[in-house]
Amino acid sequence: MKAVTTSSAGVQQQTLGKKRERSFWRTALRNRYLYMMSLPFIIWVFVFSYYPLWGWTMAFQKFKPAKSFWEQDWVGFDQFKILFQDDTFYLVMRNTLAMSFMGIIAGFAVPIVFAVLLNEVKNMAFKRVAQTISYLPHFVSWVVVAGIVSKMLSTDHGTINEVLMWLGLIDQPIQFLAKPHYFWGIVTVSDVWKEMGWNTIIYLAAIAGISQEMYEAAKVDGANRIRQIWHITLPGIRSTIIILLIMSIGHLIQIGFEKQFLLGNNLVRDYSQVLDLYSLEYGLQMSRYSFGTAVNIFNSVVSIILLFAANGIFKKITKESIM
Amino acid sequence: MNQISKWSSLALSTTLVAGMLAGCGSNNDGNNEANSPSANAGNNATNTESAAPEDTSPLTLSYYSEDPSPNWANMQDEIGKTLTEKTGITLDAEFAVGDAVQKSSLIAASGEYPDLISAKQSIAKFVDAGAVLDLTDLIDKYAPHLKKLFEGNMSRLRYSDDDHAIYVIPSYNGIGQQYFNAGGGFELQHRVVKELGYPQIKTVADYEKAIKDYLALHPKDENGNPNIGLTLNADDWHMYISVTNPAFFATGGSDDGEFNIDVDTQKVTYHFRRPEEKDYFKWLNHMNAEGLLDPESFVQKYDQYKAKIASGRVLGLIDQDWDYGDGEKALKAEGKFDQGYGHYPVTMSADIKEASFWPTGFMAGSGVAISKDNPDPVRTIKFLDYLASDEGQVLMNWGIEGKQYNVVDGKRVIPEDVNNRKINDAVNFTKETGIGLYNLLSGHYGDGVKDPSGNYYTTNFPEQIVAGFNDVEKEVLKAYNATTWKDLFPKEEEFKVKPWGAAWNIPIPGDSEAVVIEKKLTDITWKRIPEAILAKPADFDKIWDAYQQELVKADVEKAEKIREDLVKARVKLWNE
Repeated sequence: MKAVTTSSAGVQQQTLGKKRERSFWRTALRNRYLYMMSLPFIIWVFVFSYYPLWGWTMAFQKFKPAKSFWEQDWVGFDQFKILFQDDTFYLVMRNTLAMSFMGIIAGFAVPIVFAVLLNEVKNMAFKRVAQTISYLPHFVSWVVVAGIVSKMLSTDHGTINEVLMWLGLIDQPIQFLAKPHYFWGIVTVSDVWKEMGWNTIIYLAAIAGISQEMYEAAKVDGANRIRQIWHITLPGIRSTIIILLIMSIGHLIQIGFEKQFLLGNNLVRDYSQVLDLYSLEYGLQMSRYSFGTAVNIFNSVVSIILLFAANGIFKKITKESIM
Repeated sequence: MNQISKWSSLALSTTLVAGMLAGCGSNNDGNNEANSPSANAGNNATNTESAAPEDTSPLTLSYYSEDPSPNWANMQDEIGKTLTEKTGITLDAEFAVGDAVQKSSLIAASGEYPDLISAKQSIAKFVDAGAVLDLTDLIDKYAPHLKKLFEGNMSRLRYSDDDHAIYVIPSYNGIGQQYFNAGGGFELQHRVVKELGYPQIKTVADYEKAIKDYLALHPKDENGNPNIGLTLNADDWHMYISVTNPAFFATGGSDDGEFNIDVDTQKVTYHFRRPEEKDYFKWLNHMNAEGLLDPESFVQKYDQYKAKIASGRVLGLIDQDWDYGDGEKALKAEGKFDQGYGHYPVTMSADIKEASFWPTGFMAGSGVAISKDNPDPVRTIKFLDYLASDEGQVLMNWGIEGKQYNVVDGKRVIPEDVNNRKINDAVNFTKETGIGLYNLLSGHYGDGVKDPSGNYYTTNFPEQIVAGFNDVEKEVLKAYNATTWKDLFPKEEEFKVKPWGAAWNIPIPGDSEAVVIEKKLTDITWKRIPEAILAKPADFDKIWDAYQQELVKADVEKAEKIREDLVKARVKLWNE
């Protein structure tokens, strides 16, 4: 009896499975054009994002160019051991994370506040002009920005020092760029200046998507402007904020190195060296390809962990997530 | 509601990303366009190829050089056309821009090698990868001129004590090279020494006094901006040239990269560990405390440094002429000749000999190699051999007879109008004629060597150099009883030739521990030296001691040992 029921259940399942399979192919056939349209992108992602992962094998070898894959010397986790035993590595990790966190905090708060403020401006002409001026620096290369920043902070007729002297706050020009402790701040502030306007655009778009009826309803209920911002505008763009936050936490460790490289000098080296620069200097430039790859694997693994952690936390707390 | 804004923002961010990608894409297009003329030129040449029995059938070789050559004209200049005509060979050249060492590393790792590789010290990476050919037999069979050129120096061409193969034809150091002028030492503006009545400038104390006295007389320039006593150039690798190398020059050491090597015992010391050098940096610390050192020395970028020099406000420099030359050129163009710089052999004390001209003997090492991908190594070596022949060398240096020079009474003479263009319209002149573009391609004689006709191979000879000085420069030199700046410096003959050449010219094997240790040492040094110089004088000793201990902790002794072995191996290789 038992055997009969189980076997019949098995048969049922089989037919179910077949049915599901058939229905998959049926939908696939029905949507064939959609599938075909997505095919190039799948190939694109595979070629540029997954195929290069093959190169990760290099991190477990003592890679020498011009040798075939099978002739390479396999060394297991040696490269990672070297990495974790290096004091410099911990220093660059500290700098990378510190500048990232400062960048995320400032790079989130400022554009959101700016977007909300711009949204409240009723004079369209002024709004447009303010917006354009604020996002123009985004298109200026870091090389130029670094030049402007160091000129502004210069002791030799630098604007900042001149202003501070004029105000009587200091009586001797300060060498801002020679002070290690100022470096993280300088990088963060120049980054905010450069990217603030650009990052505002996305929030302005999200705010534009909020229905005007809600504001009208709030007005009828007697809410003043501050109340409207607090109860309608900010909740309205909450999901945008959270999505962008999760994504940037995923990039926490990959902050590039242009700003640090261009603004830094030997005096602030202990605070300016970041992970990407480290993998370039101690990896590629010394032909230690395997070591450089190991650094980047570490980089990617940490990024993925951070991304999933952030996603999970936000899912729990706010019920918003990107996955 | 939430759903909608979520999707709209996602769509927006995708667009942003796409926009960024498009931006990158168009950049690349720009680059491609810039490159395409050379690529086209190369293709045309190969297309017209017809296998003729002679060696002059068209052949295009790809060529990579670690040194930039901004005036390269794809061999469409007059010398280039002559070379193609004589040998059939066209070069499709690629020059590293930006970080050259990194570029070489990438090429070495790619597994696809240019036909001709000129990668200076990075050649070790190509040798490790097995990418370059052993030229010993090729030179022996097909290159009589190269053989004649390197006669007596052939043992110096060999790669290393373990590997006696010849991978590189040295093309950076000319055979028999003599120097007629000095471009290093410490620099002072002509107006400084002139105003002070040409005082003796031999020691750092003299140098300091000159700057101090002049600043006391003229604290500001004519526009009311303060004059700057001494500025240093510490941006990236310029640190070596302007901050750390002068430390051994001023203490009587010669240039062996980051090391000091005893000429008799070949004992190697990381040069910052010499007690004399502590005094040098202490002097810089003192200059800073006195307010004579530009406080921006360690913060300014290279372009800011040059701009500062071009403003004419900087009284003193410690640099090489090729490093600050752009700034001085701007001054000369404005006719401010008295704000140009003279070169003085400054040392810590009068009994120390400034060793800028410590002779190294012929230095093989940097040069051109033939890769294993080269389609025709025999014709390639013949091409390089032609360049090294008397005919080839005169062509490269002087140009074409009847055009860039004439022979008058058996002497090569550059006509006045050509010489004028050469100096005042240098870029276009180089692009049109190709003079100066091919010198690093093959072995050649140095300045001051005469060919069988009794003329110099190169266009740099004493008369020519003196003719290039401006009147202020001549006046200052005359006051110091000299015809060129070199006359002020100790002569080559006063030193014992270094049997290993120079340590910076000895390649380190790619997988040697020293690579990482030396990088760490440089990191420490570049951080600590500026810190020590800018510290309060009372703290200097403390910082210096901490720095020395850090060096020991970073295995400086091991690096010295590895270097010492390399130097001894080089001495054996070159002198057996």
